[in-house]
Amino acid sequence: MTSEPSRPGPLPRRRFLLAGVLAMAAAPLAAACTATSPPPPGPDPLEPLAARARADAALARAVADALGGAGQDLAQAANAVAAHRKAHAEAFDQEIRRARPGTGAATPPPASSDAPPPPPPPTAAAAKTALADALKAAEQEARALVPTAPRHRAGLLGSVTASCLSLREVLA
Amino acid sequence: MTSPVPGQPGQPSSNSPKPALGGEATEAVQRALAAEHAAEWSYSLVSVLVAKDMEKVVATGAAQRRTRRETVERMLRDAGATPVPPQPAYQPPRPVTDAASAAELLVTAETDAAGAWRAVLERTDDQGLRQFALDALTAAAVQATRVRRAARQAPLTVPFPGQPG
Repeated sequence: MTSEPSRPGPLPRRRFLLAGVLAMAAAPLAAACTATSPPPPGPDPLEPLAARARADAALARAVADALGGAGQDLAQAANAVAAHRKAHAEAFDQEIRRARPGTGAATPPPASSDAPPPPPPPTAAAAKTALADALKAAEQEARALVPTAPRHRAGLLGSVTASCLSLREVLA
Repeated sequence: MTSPVPGQPGQPSSNSPKPALGGEATEAVQRALAAEHAAEWSYSLVSVLVAKDMEKVVATGAAQRRTRRETVERMLRDAGATPVPPQPAYQPPRPVTDAASAAELLVTAETDAAGAWRAVLERTDDQGLRQFALDALTAAAVQATRVRRAARQAPLTVPFPGQPG
Protein backbone atom coordinates (compact mmCIF):
# COMPACT_ATOMS: atom_id res chain seq x y z
CA MET A 1 0.00 0.00 0.00
CA THR A 2 2.62 2.52 0.95
CA SER A 3 5.16 1.65 -1.68
CA GLU A 4 3.08 0.35 -4.55
CA PRO A 5 1.49 3.59 -5.68
CA SER A 6 4.74 5.52 -5.32
CA ARG A 7 6.85 3.19 -7.38
CA PRO A 8 8.01 5.13 -10.41
CA GLY A 9 7.41 2.18 -12.70
CA PRO A 10 6.60 2.67 -16.37
CA LEU A 11 3.05 3.81 -16.98
CA PRO A 12 1.33 2.76 -20.15
CA ARG A 13 -0.02 6.25 -20.58
CA ARG A 14 -0.04 9.49 -18.74
CA ARG A 15 -3.16 11.29 -17.82
CA PHE A 16 -3.57 14.99 -17.77
CA LEU A 17 -3.22 16.40 -14.35
CA LEU A 18 -6.50 17.50 -12.91
CA ALA A 19 -5.38 21.10 -12.63
CA GLY A 20 -4.43 21.16 -16.29
CA VAL A 21 -7.82 19.88 -17.34
CA LEU A 22 -9.55 22.50 -15.24
CA ALA A 23 -7.36 25.25 -16.61
CA MET A 24 -8.34 24.34 -20.14
CA ALA A 25 -11.98 24.18 -19.19
CA ALA A 26 -11.84 27.59 -17.54
CA ALA A 27 -10.38 29.49 -20.46
CA PRO A 28 -13.37 29.40 -22.84
CA LEU A 29 -15.67 30.10 -19.91
CA ALA A 30 -14.03 33.42 -19.14
CA ALA A 31 -14.13 34.36 -22.80
CA ALA A 32 -17.81 33.51 -23.02
CA CYS A 33 -18.67 35.70 -20.04
CA THR A 34 -16.97 38.65 -21.65
CA ALA A 35 -19.46 38.62 -24.44
CA THR A 36 -22.61 37.90 -22.48
CA SER A 37 -22.56 40.15 -19.41
CA PRO A 38 -22.95 43.87 -20.07
CA PRO A 39 -21.73 45.94 -17.12
CA PRO A 40 -24.46 47.32 -14.87
CA PRO A 41 -24.55 51.09 -14.43
CA GLY A 42 -22.78 52.73 -11.51
CA PRO A 43 -19.38 52.10 -10.04
CA ASP A 44 -17.94 48.62 -10.36
CA PRO A 45 -18.52 46.67 -7.11
CA LEU A 46 -14.89 45.53 -7.29
CA GLU A 47 -13.55 49.06 -6.97
CA PRO A 48 -13.65 49.21 -3.15
CA LEU A 49 -11.95 45.81 -3.05
CA ALA A 50 -9.18 47.02 -5.34
CA ALA A 51 -8.70 50.13 -3.18
CA ARG A 52 -8.60 48.07 0.00
CA ALA A 53 -6.10 45.67 -1.52
CA ARG A 54 -3.81 48.58 -2.42
CA ALA A 55 -4.13 50.05 1.08
CA ASP A 56 -3.36 46.68 2.67
CA ALA A 57 -0.31 46.25 0.44
CA ALA A 58 0.95 49.70 1.48
CA LEU A 59 0.40 48.96 5.16
CA ALA A 60 2.15 45.60 4.91
CA ARG A 61 5.04 47.14 3.01
CA ALA A 62 5.43 49.81 5.71
CA VAL A 63 5.42 47.12 8.40
CA ALA A 64 8.01 45.02 6.58
CA ASP A 65 10.26 48.04 6.01
CA ALA A 66 9.96 49.19 9.62
CA LEU A 67 10.88 45.76 10.95
CA GLY A 68 13.97 45.45 8.83
CA GLY A 69 15.94 42.49 10.14
CA ALA A 70 14.03 42.28 13.41
CA GLY A 71 11.06 39.99 13.92
CA GLN A 72 11.84 37.76 11.00
CA ASP A 73 8.63 35.74 11.01
CA LEU A 74 6.50 38.86 11.08
CA ALA A 75 8.63 40.53 8.42
CA GLN A 76 8.22 37.51 6.16
CA ALA A 77 4.48 37.45 6.75
CA ALA A 78 4.25 41.18 6.06
CA ASN A 79 6.16 40.72 2.82
CA ALA A 80 3.75 38.00 1.76
CA VAL A 81 0.76 40.20 2.63
CA ALA A 82 2.25 43.07 0.63
CA ALA A 83 2.94 40.91 -2.42
CA HIS A 84 -0.38 39.05 -2.40
CA ARG A 85 -2.54 42.10 -1.74
CA LYS A 86 -0.74 43.94 -4.55
CA ALA A 87 -1.51 41.01 -6.84
CA HIS A 88 -5.15 41.11 -5.72
CA ALA A 89 -5.38 44.83 -6.52
CA GLU A 90 -3.95 44.22 -9.97
CA ALA A 91 -6.33 41.35 -10.65
CA PHE A 92 -9.32 43.46 -9.56
CA ASP A 93 -8.14 46.39 -11.68
CA GLN A 94 -7.76 44.10 -14.67
CA GLU A 95 -11.25 42.70 -14.21
CA ILE A 96 -12.72 46.20 -13.76
CA ARG A 97 -11.06 47.31 -17.01
CA ARG A 98 -12.20 44.17 -18.79
CA ALA A 99 -15.82 44.76 -17.78
CA ARG A 100 -15.75 48.35 -19.01
CA PRO A 101 -13.30 48.72 -21.82
CA GLY A 102 -12.59 52.32 -22.64
CA THR A 103 -13.78 53.74 -19.34
CA GLY A 104 -10.74 55.45 -17.96
CA ALA A 105 -12.64 56.19 -14.78
CA ALA A 106 -12.68 52.53 -13.87
CA THR A 107 -8.92 52.60 -13.72
CA PRO A 108 -7.81 53.85 -10.33
CA PRO A 109 -5.39 56.75 -10.47
CA PRO A 110 -1.85 55.42 -10.54
CA ALA A 111 -1.01 58.20 -8.09
CA SER A 112 -2.50 56.06 -5.32
CA SER A 113 0.56 53.83 -5.39
CA ASP A 114 2.80 56.88 -5.10
CA ALA A 115 0.97 58.18 -2.05
CA PRO A 116 3.13 58.40 1.07
CA PRO A 117 3.14 55.05 2.85
CA PRO A 118 1.09 54.86 6.03
CA PRO A 119 3.09 55.12 9.24
CA PRO A 120 3.79 51.63 10.55
CA PRO A 121 2.17 50.65 13.83
CA PRO A 122 4.43 51.52 16.79
CA THR A 123 5.14 47.96 17.97
CA ALA A 124 5.45 44.56 16.37
CA ALA A 125 2.39 43.35 18.25
CA ALA A 126 0.38 46.33 17.03
CA ALA A 127 1.62 45.74 13.49
CA LYS A 128 0.55 42.12 13.62
CA THR A 129 -2.90 43.08 14.88
CA ALA A 130 -3.25 45.77 12.23
CA LEU A 131 -2.36 43.31 9.46
CA ALA A 132 -4.67 40.62 10.82
CA ASP A 133 -7.55 43.10 11.12
CA ALA A 134 -6.97 44.35 7.57
CA LEU A 135 -6.95 40.80 6.21
CA LYS A 136 -10.10 39.92 8.09
CA ALA A 137 -11.93 42.93 6.67
CA ALA A 138 -10.65 42.11 3.17
CA GLU A 139 -11.71 38.50 3.49
CA GLN A 140 -15.20 39.48 4.63
CA GLU A 141 -15.59 42.02 1.84
CA ALA A 142 -14.62 39.51 -0.85
CA ARG A 143 -16.63 36.70 0.74
CA ALA A 144 -19.79 38.83 0.79
CA LEU A 145 -19.69 39.24 -3.00
CA VAL A 146 -19.18 35.55 -3.85
CA PRO A 147 -22.83 34.38 -3.69
CA THR A 148 -24.15 36.92 -6.21
CA ALA A 149 -21.16 37.84 -8.39
CA PRO A 150 -21.10 36.86 -12.07
CA ARG A 151 -19.58 33.40 -12.42
CA HIS A 152 -16.19 34.44 -13.71
CA ARG A 153 -15.84 36.88 -10.82
CA ALA A 154 -16.97 34.36 -8.23
CA GLY A 155 -13.79 32.37 -8.89
CA LEU A 156 -11.50 35.37 -8.45
CA LEU A 157 -13.35 36.51 -5.33
CA GLY A 158 -13.15 32.99 -3.91
CA SER A 159 -9.39 32.87 -4.47
CA VAL A 160 -8.91 36.27 -2.83
CA THR A 161 -11.04 35.19 0.14
CA ALA A 162 -8.95 32.02 0.50
CA SER A 163 -5.71 33.98 0.14
CA CYS A 164 -6.64 36.47 2.88
CA LEU A 165 -7.62 33.63 5.17
CA SER A 166 -4.37 31.75 4.60
CA LEU A 167 -2.36 34.94 5.16
CA ARG A 168 -4.12 35.33 8.49
CA GLU A 169 -3.15 31.76 9.25
CA VAL A 170 0.48 32.71 8.66
CA LEU A 171 0.17 35.65 11.06
CA ALA A 172 -1.57 33.56 13.71
CA MET B 1 -1.19 15.38 -9.50
CA THR B 2 -2.51 12.22 -7.95
CA SER B 3 -3.93 10.96 -11.21
CA PRO B 4 -5.71 7.65 -10.92
CA VAL B 5 -3.54 4.64 -11.56
CA PRO B 6 -4.56 3.56 -15.05
CA GLY B 7 -5.91 0.18 -15.88
CA GLN B 8 -8.14 -0.24 -12.85
CA PRO B 9 -11.47 -1.80 -13.63
CA GLY B 10 -14.86 -0.35 -12.82
CA GLN B 11 -13.90 3.31 -12.85
CA PRO B 12 -16.17 6.36 -13.20
CA SER B 13 -16.66 8.36 -16.36
CA SER B 14 -19.39 5.86 -17.12
CA ASN B 15 -21.46 7.77 -14.59
CA SER B 16 -24.01 10.07 -16.08
CA PRO B 17 -25.13 12.48 -13.36
CA LYS B 18 -28.66 13.77 -13.72
CA PRO B 19 -28.65 17.50 -14.26
CA ALA B 20 -30.58 18.39 -11.12
CA LEU B 21 -27.81 20.77 -10.02
CA GLY B 22 -27.42 21.90 -13.59
CA GLY B 23 -25.25 19.71 -15.81
CA GLU B 24 -22.23 21.97 -15.73
CA ALA B 25 -22.39 22.41 -11.96
CA THR B 26 -22.87 18.69 -11.34
CA GLU B 27 -19.89 17.89 -13.50
CA ALA B 28 -17.76 20.41 -11.60
CA VAL B 29 -18.90 19.02 -8.25
CA GLN B 30 -18.07 15.50 -9.43
CA ARG B 31 -14.57 16.67 -10.35
CA ALA B 32 -14.24 18.28 -6.96
CA LEU B 33 -15.36 15.04 -5.36
CA ALA B 34 -12.74 13.17 -7.37
CA ALA B 35 -10.14 15.63 -6.04
CA GLU B 36 -11.45 15.08 -2.51
CA HIS B 37 -11.09 11.31 -2.97
CA ALA B 38 -7.51 11.77 -4.17
CA ALA B 39 -6.76 14.04 -1.21
CA GLU B 40 -8.27 11.61 1.25
CA TRP B 41 -6.16 8.84 -0.25
CA SER B 42 -3.08 11.07 0.00
CA TYR B 43 -3.67 11.69 3.68
CA SER B 44 -3.99 8.00 4.38
CA LEU B 45 -0.84 7.30 2.36
CA VAL B 46 1.33 9.80 4.20
CA SER B 47 0.02 9.27 7.71
CA VAL B 48 2.80 6.81 8.50
CA LEU B 49 5.53 8.94 6.97
CA VAL B 50 5.08 12.38 8.44
CA ALA B 51 7.26 13.81 11.15
CA LYS B 52 5.98 14.19 14.67
CA ASP B 53 5.20 17.89 14.39
CA MET B 54 3.04 17.27 11.34
CA GLU B 55 0.89 14.56 12.85
CA LYS B 56 -1.76 16.92 14.16
CA VAL B 57 -1.99 18.83 10.89
CA VAL B 58 -2.38 15.57 8.99
CA ALA B 59 -4.99 14.20 11.37
CA THR B 60 -7.02 17.40 11.14
CA GLY B 61 -6.74 17.47 7.36
CA ALA B 62 -7.78 13.85 7.03
CA ALA B 63 -10.81 14.36 9.27
CA GLN B 64 -11.86 17.49 7.35
CA ARG B 65 -11.58 15.62 4.08
CA ARG B 66 -13.73 12.76 5.27
CA THR B 67 -16.50 15.06 6.49
CA ARG B 68 -16.46 17.12 3.32
CA ARG B 69 -16.42 14.07 1.06
CA GLU B 70 -19.45 12.60 2.81
CA THR B 71 -21.33 15.89 2.50
CA VAL B 72 -20.53 16.16 -1.21
CA GLU B 73 -21.65 12.60 -1.85
CA ARG B 74 -24.92 13.29 -0.07
CA MET B 75 -25.36 16.52 -2.01
CA LEU B 76 -24.90 14.72 -5.32
CA ARG B 77 -27.26 11.93 -4.38
CA ASP B 78 -29.89 14.46 -3.29
CA ALA B 79 -29.54 16.04 -6.70
CA GLY B 80 -30.17 12.69 -8.35
CA ALA B 81 -26.56 12.08 -9.39
CA THR B 82 -24.34 9.11 -8.63
CA PRO B 83 -21.23 10.32 -6.77
CA VAL B 84 -17.98 9.30 -8.47
CA PRO B 85 -16.32 6.53 -6.47
CA PRO B 86 -12.72 6.75 -5.27
CA GLN B 87 -9.99 5.09 -7.31
CA PRO B 88 -8.30 2.11 -5.66
CA ALA B 89 -5.00 4.00 -5.87
CA TYR B 90 -3.54 7.19 -7.29
CA GLN B 91 -0.23 8.09 -8.87
CA PRO B 92 1.58 10.76 -6.85
CA PRO B 93 3.62 13.13 -9.01
CA ARG B 94 6.74 12.09 -7.09
CA PRO B 95 7.55 9.01 -5.07
CA VAL B 96 6.51 9.48 -1.47
CA THR B 97 9.36 8.25 0.68
CA ASP B 98 9.88 10.67 3.54
CA ALA B 99 8.33 13.54 5.47
CA ALA B 100 9.29 16.14 2.86
CA SER B 101 7.82 14.27 -0.11
CA ALA B 102 4.79 13.41 2.02
CA ALA B 103 4.19 17.11 2.71
CA GLU B 104 4.65 17.85 -0.95
CA LEU B 105 1.98 15.32 -1.87
CA LEU B 106 -0.44 16.85 0.62
CA VAL B 107 0.18 20.34 -0.74
CA THR B 108 -0.43 19.04 -4.26
CA ALA B 109 -3.64 17.34 -3.15
CA GLU B 110 -4.88 20.50 -1.40
CA THR B 111 -3.94 22.60 -4.41
CA ASP B 112 -5.90 20.30 -6.72
CA ALA B 113 -8.89 20.39 -4.39
CA ALA B 114 -8.74 24.20 -4.23
CA GLY B 115 -8.69 24.35 -8.03
CA ALA B 116 -11.62 21.99 -8.35
CA TRP B 117 -13.71 23.98 -5.87
CA ARG B 118 -12.89 27.28 -7.52
CA ALA B 119 -14.10 25.72 -10.78
CA VAL B 120 -17.41 24.94 -9.05
CA LEU B 121 -17.74 28.63 -8.07
CA GLU B 122 -17.42 29.52 -11.73
CA ARG B 123 -20.03 27.03 -12.88
CA THR B 124 -23.04 27.65 -10.69
CA ASP B 125 -25.35 30.50 -9.73
CA ASP B 126 -26.78 28.53 -6.82
CA GLN B 127 -25.88 30.51 -3.73
CA GLY B 128 -25.85 27.51 -1.41
CA LEU B 129 -23.50 25.60 -3.67
CA ARG B 130 -21.29 28.66 -4.06
CA GLN B 131 -21.12 29.00 -0.28
CA PHE B 132 -20.14 25.36 0.07
CA ALA B 133 -17.54 25.61 -2.70
CA LEU B 134 -16.11 28.79 -1.13
CA ASP B 135 -15.76 27.08 2.24
CA ALA B 136 -14.06 24.09 0.60
CA LEU B 137 -11.72 26.34 -1.37
CA THR B 138 -10.71 28.36 1.69
CA ALA B 139 -10.29 25.22 3.81
CA ALA B 140 -7.98 23.69 1.19
CA ALA B 141 -5.91 26.88 0.99
CA VAL B 142 -5.56 27.16 4.77
CA GLN B 143 -4.71 23.48 5.10
CA ALA B 144 -2.03 23.77 2.39
CA THR B 145 -0.53 26.65 4.38
CA ARG B 146 -0.57 24.59 7.59
CA VAL B 147 1.14 21.66 5.88
CA ARG B 148 3.81 23.93 4.36
CA ARG B 149 4.46 25.54 7.73
CA ALA B 150 4.65 22.20 9.56
CA ALA B 151 7.05 20.92 6.88
CA ARG B 152 9.02 24.21 6.96
CA GLN B 153 8.41 24.79 3.27
CA ALA B 154 8.42 28.28 1.80
CA PRO B 155 6.54 30.21 0.62
CA LEU B 156 3.65 29.43 2.93
CA THR B 157 0.97 30.95 0.73
CA VAL B 158 -0.01 31.60 -2.87
CA PRO B 159 -1.77 34.80 -3.98
CA PHE B 160 -4.70 33.09 -5.73
CA PRO B 161 -5.48 29.67 -4.24
CA GLY B 162 -7.39 27.55 -6.73
CA GLN B 163 -6.55 29.68 -9.73
CA PRO B 164 -5.57 27.54 -12.70
CA GLY B 165 -2.16 27.90 -14.25
